[in-house]
Amino acid sequence: MGHSTSHSAEPPLVTGNLSFHELTELVARHAEKKPPLGWYIAIGISSLLLVNLLVMIAYQVWNGVGVWGNNVPVGWGWPIVDFVFWVGIGHAGTLISAILFLFRQRWRTSINRAAEAMTIFAVMCALLFPTIHVGRIWVIYWTLPIPNQMDMWPQFKSPLLWDVFAVSSYFIVSLMFWYVGLIPDLATLRDRARSFVRQRVLGVFSMGWTGSNRHWRNYEKAYLLLAGLATPLVLSVHSVVSFDFAVSIVPGWHTTIFPPYFVAGAIFSGFAMVVTLMVIARKVYGIEDLITLNHLEKMNIIILLTGSMVGFAYITEFFIAWYSQVGYEQYAFINRATGPYAWAYWIMMSCNLLAPQVFWFKRLRRNVPLMFAISILVNIGMWFERFVITVISLHRDYLPSSWGYFSPTWVDVMTFAGSFGLFLTLFLLFLRFAPMVALSEVKGVTPQADPHFYDQESS
Amino acid sequence: MIDLPVLKNAATPSPRERFWRSSADLRGELGGLHDGEFMPGASERPGSSSRRDFLRVMGASMAMAGLAACRRPVEQVLPYTRQPEEIVPGEPLYYATGMPYRGVLRPVLVRSHEGRPTKIEGNPEHPVSGGASGAFEQASILNLYDPDRSQRVLRGGVGAEWREFVRFAQELDGASRIGVVAPPTSSPTIQALRDRLAARFPALQWVTHAPEGPDPSRLALRTEAGGVARPVYRFSEAEVIVSLDSDFLGPTEINLLSNAAEYARNRQMASPEDTPGRLYVAESAYSLTGGMADHRKRLRSGDIPAFAQALAARLGVGESPGGSAMEDAFMGAMVRDLQAAGPRAVLVAGDTQPPEVHALAAAVNEALGAVGSTVSYLASDEDMASSQAERFAALASAMHAGDIDFLLLLGGNPAYSAPPEFDFAAGMGRVARTAHLGLHLDETGQAAEWHIPQTHYLEAWGDGRAYDGTLSVVQPLIAPLYEAAKSDIEVLGLLADGVDTPGYDLVRAQWSAYLPDNMEEAWRKALHDGFLPDSGYPEALPALQTPALSAAAPGDEETEVVLRLDPTVLDGSYANNAWMMELPDPVTKIVWDNVALISPAMAERLGVSAKYDKGQYKVDVVEISVAGRSVRLPAWIQPGLPDYSVHLTMGYGRRIATDRPPREARFFDLDHYTDIYADGPLANGVGSNVAALLGGDMRRVLAGAEVRATGDTWTISTTQEHGYMEGRPLFRKATLSEFRERPTFAPDMVPPLHGQEEWEEYPALWQKAHPSEQPAITENRYYANQWGMVIDLNTCTGCNACVVACNSENNVQMVGKEEVGRGREMHWLRIDRYFVSGDGADTDEPAMVVQPVPCMHCENAPCEAVCPVAATVHSPDGTNQMIYNRCIGTRYCSNNCPYKVRRFSFFNWTKTLPETVQMAQNPNVTVRFRGVMEKCSYCIQRVRGAQHAANLEDRPLRDGEVKTACQQACGMQSIVFGDLNDPNSAASRARANPRRYEMLAELSVKPRTSYLARVTNPNPELEPQG
Repeated sequence: MGHSTSHSAEPPLVTGNLSFHELTELVARHAEKKPPLGWYIAIGISSLLLVNLLVMIAYQVWNGVGVWGNNVPVGWGWPIVDFVFWVGIGHAGTLISAILFLFRQRWRTSINRAAEAMTIFAVMCALLFPTIHVGRIWVIYWTLPIPNQMDMWPQFKSPLLWDVFAVSSYFIVSLMFWYVGLIPDLATLRDRARSFVRQRVLGVFSMGWTGSNRHWRNYEKAYLLLAGLATPLVLSVHSVVSFDFAVSIVPGWHTTIFPPYFVAGAIFSGFAMVVTLMVIARKVYGIEDLITLNHLEKMNIIILLTGSMVGFAYITEFFIAWYSQVGYEQYAFINRATGPYAWAYWIMMSCNLLAPQVFWFKRLRRNVPLMFAISILVNIGMWFERFVITVISLHRDYLPSSWGYFSPTWVDVMTFAGSFGLFLTLFLLFLRFAPMVALSEVKGVTPQADPHFYDQESS
Repeated sequence: MIDLPVLKNAATPSPRERFWRSSADLRGELGGLHDGEFMPGASERPGSSSRRDFLRVMGASMAMAGLAACRRPVEQVLPYTRQPEEIVPGEPLYYATGMPYRGVLRPVLVRSHEGRPTKIEGNPEHPVSGGASGAFEQASILNLYDPDRSQRVLRGGVGAEWREFVRFAQELDGASRIGVVAPPTSSPTIQALRDRLAARFPALQWVTHAPEGPDPSRLALRTEAGGVARPVYRFSEAEVIVSLDSDFLGPTEINLLSNAAEYARNRQMASPEDTPGRLYVAESAYSLTGGMADHRKRLRSGDIPAFAQALAARLGVGESPGGSAMEDAFMGAMVRDLQAAGPRAVLVAGDTQPPEVHALAAAVNEALGAVGSTVSYLASDEDMASSQAERFAALASAMHAGDIDFLLLLGGNPAYSAPPEFDFAAGMGRVARTAHLGLHLDETGQAAEWHIPQTHYLEAWGDGRAYDGTLSVVQPLIAPLYEAAKSDIEVLGLLADGVDTPGYDLVRAQWSAYLPDNMEEAWRKALHDGFLPDSGYPEALPALQTPALSAAAPGDEETEVVLRLDPTVLDGSYANNAWMMELPDPVTKIVWDNVALISPAMAERLGVSAKYDKGQYKVDVVEISVAGRSVRLPAWIQPGLPDYSVHLTMGYGRRIATDRPPREARFFDLDHYTDIYADGPLANGVGSNVAALLGGDMRRVLAGAEVRATGDTWTISTTQEHGYMEGRPLFRKATLSEFRERPTFAPDMVPPLHGQEEWEEYPALWQKAHPSEQPAITENRYYANQWGMVIDLNTCTGCNACVVACNSENNVQMVGKEEVGRGREMHWLRIDRYFVSGDGADTDEPAMVVQPVPCMHCENAPCEAVCPVAATVHSPDGTNQMIYNRCIGTRYCSNNCPYKVRRFSFFNWTKTLPETVQMAQNPNVTVRFRGVMEKCSYCIQRVRGAQHAANLEDRPLRDGEVKTACQQACGMQSIVFGDLNDPNSAASRARANPRRYEMLAELSVKPRTSYLARVTNPNPELEPQG
């Protein structure tokens, strides 16, 4: 097919020239066969961490918030840092699924399933933290507008309440989006299932999918609609999370730049987490043909872009603090860079602003070990960004007499570690029981799906 | 239904009276109509005996049968002015009494809920107090409920009975050589009993022992008749005040209340026309008085006699010490000021100064013509105590020599506080018979053969004299919590008379002399008023001579050590009091420790430092030795101290024995950590006992000390980690001339943005539908009063009385040293202390300013808008209130509070409170559970209580009727609280003061609490301080 060369400016999205059956085998068998030893070791460790999380929560609920390092003036410590960290990570999946879908970025198909799963699990971790963070968890439902005999409603002026709605609706829409996308693949698994129970269970979850034209038509419509619905949520949820800070009057928090800056940071950290997980998963599960270096490179480009946006925001904050001529604001930023927590600030700056700059070079952004290392650095840097914003701003605000210091306790550390246990356990279960790549969508972007090169001609 | 005819007949109402509602009712035409109006049982008349009535009657009789067995003293306790017809449950009663304090009586008014004392207040009608009280009075209520108080009589460490001691006392041989060590007291009853004791035991050796050493003023000032002349200062009349190391406004000052009220009158400024006095302070430590100074000179205590001498010589009294070391601009300006002021000047000498300096100061006052104007003298009848130290030394050597047959320790703790060379505890071992009366089984009690638990002053009868000599009866409010407890009067009475007489009879017998006519009525009136009018000491003139100074000035590089009473635990008698342990030192803000204060230069020389480490300070421990005696203490670097001068406070390093078992907690439970009482007495293991440095002469200033770094470090917790204002306009001050030039200097310090609206008109968040304009607010009856507070920084010294009063009134919990270090103290009211140094000024000479910070009750409260469950809201009367049972504990409000006055219960502090401490809680204030936010409420319970009373009497609320706890305690009247809707209220008038400013007004939060800026009155000849 000689004339095809003129169209292949973009490298193929899936390599290895696999047939549809081979693709199905490649992905579906992992959900069917006995998992390898490595999986058992991994889930053993992660479920230990999960148990540790449950113990830490029980210990905290029993004894009180004092088991953490929070104090006055630092009313919010690690739990809120962890919350914003996980919400941020929970941004990549829906962004890849919804926004890239709307922009017809077809390379997304190889990674969207896993990224969406990651989103949902990350948002679950995120939801955990504000819940256990309150002083009296047994009345946390008072933040929900539940009709009650006292005629008491939540206070709608509070950004925390906006948070409740923003994060929970993001979670619900992401979950629906993920599940709708799973339906054709679950049907594939169902059709391959041998045992009766497996057939029944998958039968229920695939909702009677037969692959009829009408099913596909409805499916595509629903998917498009959900993508449209999820897209503003991607932007709104982290904007609302940033309002927790921006609406307050704390110097260092009270900043109008926060919504875009938080969204950029969230995409940044989310993509870094996707890279971290995908680099491992494609190797372990032998799906390098599906998740190619090209995919990883594209993600690295987004990391470079959003990382630079975030870095720009950091510098803008300093400029605005100087430009405002408000002494409290100026001190807040000088204190970030030179105060007792300067080490945290410089970790943030070097991990978030400097580290991704290596991706300017094509060879480096296609280097798998390097990108893995950078993605870890970015995750660390983004955790520190939330620490810098939350703790450094609070520990020295208006009255020097009430300045204080925050140091985390072992419970803080173990709870955060435990949240990784929750996240990884869920992710490993996902890898074990669900098709980790969106089969039906990937098949649509293989050369085999386009035997007459319609796509290439039209593009 | 149980139908008992006996009850039914007994309770049948009298047939003569009938109540009816209408004529139809009277005629009985309504039949049983109104009988069915209410729920069955709800409207039953008491006459028909149902099961309900049977239980009620039986219950009452059981209760009364039980009551008969209670030890209800038949002695009469008379309520103060608000005597109700009967005790109404929930309505507190107030009783006037007095608290013994450093040898005088502090008049107090005690609030009692259903027979349980809950709060101490000043007695407003007493001539010395003006209704104010100090931190120690406020905290003394917690001493009553101290869980470690000793509870039983011990003999040789095993339980014994009081009657055994009675038998022992009766069998004492009249020829016994008896020693008594007692703290200073003003009680005439004790004085009389002492005379009777001396009659029974002619070989009596009575020693008055004050841990802080002999009072130099008493040794220096004698009346013509040879008695003690007690100085009383009228600072309100003074134009120039010079303090010679005197902390006359400090928390431990004997006559604090009167001094504070006088000084406040000197400094209150309603307009620029008012002229405050000028205060010069030459002092060694940085005292609160030094913080108030217009000019402060740091000098070692040992240098101050020479300074005083030079000053006196310049004023024509005595001879100059020679040399010009003390002649500088400060001295010159001060002398000219003093000469100009003449009779309107006054010199005050401090407790660290030898008697000669007191005599010199008195001579200078005389020469200036100040006697009768700014200072007067009272002829006190107190024990001459020619030299307490000599008598004590004589007794101690007699003890060691075996020349004492029976030693009685009447409440003090000399085994802890006596100089080590007397080895008092070992001396006690060499006395055949020893008996100790004390609130605790303390160091002395453990060394004694007999230990008798002492009553708290709220439990027993006593009497005494206030500083001005006014007589008061100490009347108990509650029967002793522990049956075995006896008062000092009772023990002394037993020994003096050989008869176990109740304290009431002893005091009343003594008072029959003061109340010759109509004893019963006069007695009742004295109890009711809390004092006997016109019973003060007569005025007298001291016999003055100009003494020669005995003590040589220390060498230039000779280090001195100065020992002082601690501003929070006093001499150790408040060391087991959680409120006082956690009360920040007013200058250093250190809690739960005593430290050695040294100057920055000295720290550099010793190579010691205080490193800020995660919210606490890691400080180096130094060893201080004087003449072979030494003590190890953490060193704290204090700006504004003279070099070669080390300052220590007493009262720490206690060792109290208790029966209370240590708390056991399950492994997953933090009860052991959160219970500050878990490991036995609070006082034990906190700080070090500096009495180890004392010499036999018990002098408080020890020259020739050696200080060296030990290499050890110690962690110090403070409530304020940062002491500089960072150039922020938080505490505002100006000089008198600046004030006159620009009366609104304080609000002008934060000008509105160029071309913008005033801060007051600046648009605020949620302005359009502001909660304060909603009908739910404006139509509420409480809307008629809008509360506000004004704090005068010109008079506030930072003495902490308000902080303790707030703790007591509002059930504020204490959290322990470690939690304070983690930034979790719960004080609703804190006092910020900043050091200020002017442009380019030497940071060794900073000024110190203090600023009490309660909740500001912002009209645009940032905390309210961010709470997701509306747990902190505005009240119709304009205050910001916490709804504890709605709070879920997000802590967002605390983050968003620019003043950081909100406090969070990180743990369940009240779960582990000992039972007795629970009794100290105010029943009118919710005891908070863990996980909720709390903060100053403007004592809303007091507001509502006063409104309730006004409502019952059908009259409007009067200005000044509501007093917040902090306001009530303040001896300076620095805190004014009142209704801003009333243009004539004290608060409204204070708000009209040109000095008024709102802290952080530029945030447009519109705080209801505002401040009156300080105006200093520096001498134009001198550089202003700071």
